[in-house]
Amino acid sequence: MAPGRRTPLSLMQNDFESVTLASASDEDVSLLDILDHVLNAGVVIHGSLVLSIAGVDLVYLGLNVVLTSVETALRNLRAEETRR
Amino acid sequence: MTKVLAYCAFLHREGLKLTPCGVNNATMRVLSHGNLRLLWSYVEWPFRDSAIQRNAVEFHGAVSHMFAQGAVLPFRLLSVFDDEQAIIEFVEARKADFVADLERLRNLVQMECVIYFAPQAATGLSGKDYLERKAEVLRGAEGYAERIRNVLSGISRAVRTRESKNGLRIFVLVERGQEHSFRSKVRDLPLPERLARRISGPWPPSEFLSDALKMPQMTGKT
Repeated sequence: MAPGRRTPLSLMQNDFESVTLASASDEDVSLLDILDHVLNAGVVIHGSLVLSIAGVDLVYLGLNVVLTSVETALRNLRAEETRR
Repeated sequence: MTKVLAYCAFLHREGLKLTPCGVNNATMRVLSHGNLRLLWSYVEWPFRDSAIQRNAVEFHGAVSHMFAQGAVLPFRLLSVFDDEQAIIEFVEARKADFVADLERLRNLVQMECVIYFAPQAATGLSGKDYLERKAEVLRGAEGYAERIRNVLSGISRAVRTRESKNGLRIFVLVERGQEHSFRSKVRDLPLPERLARRISGPWPPSEFLSDALKMPQMTGKT
């Protein structure tokens, strides 16, 4: 692997900022970049469509889920490393 | 419960190859309205907590597949419709906005440069000193962002800057094919001490969508 290149994608690495993907241009794209772009940018649905469940905005719910997921992933990885 | 997940809109063109599968390996479907196309699939909703990172990557992959072939307008991942009829009505109501943005952004891609306070610049500092230095460095980031805008003036079609917690995000619209030029021009610009920089792209030009398509709608709840 060339200097400075990161390892291929693994969604559950403990340093998730270094998680990389091959994009169309073969440049490194971090998981955080992807999450930021797919969650925070783009066309937003208007009108009378469902954007919430039980009074909680799906956008916020989704972000909480992502954060929880990352936290959980990191905690699990650290626990695994400790066991080794 | 099953919902309809929208991925992206694009204009019909001969030879386009559709994304083979979407989130959770879903079969991709295309909604046609004149020459406007909208990529969507059924999904089980809400996404499972443990799968949402993978779902985000799958969503990104599906959109990127189309974006590699031409202009797309991506939806946000968490935008779901109740059923197929809802997405049809949505597209019918907003067709003019979609087509106008796709025409305006045809052959353009979004590049991004993030400037932020370098964590190593704070080594050994007390909390107060850290915050003071960070504030000082971030004030200097404005000047650097201005230099970036200047150095890119020959290739940028539009620039937007947004403050983030640790610095600035600069979004630049460039012609497809100018990505390498963007990267080399930005990389050639010396980075001030204590600032770090990250370049990414090309991305679909989601920061440059018209307000009609990107204004958050937080009041349409059920």
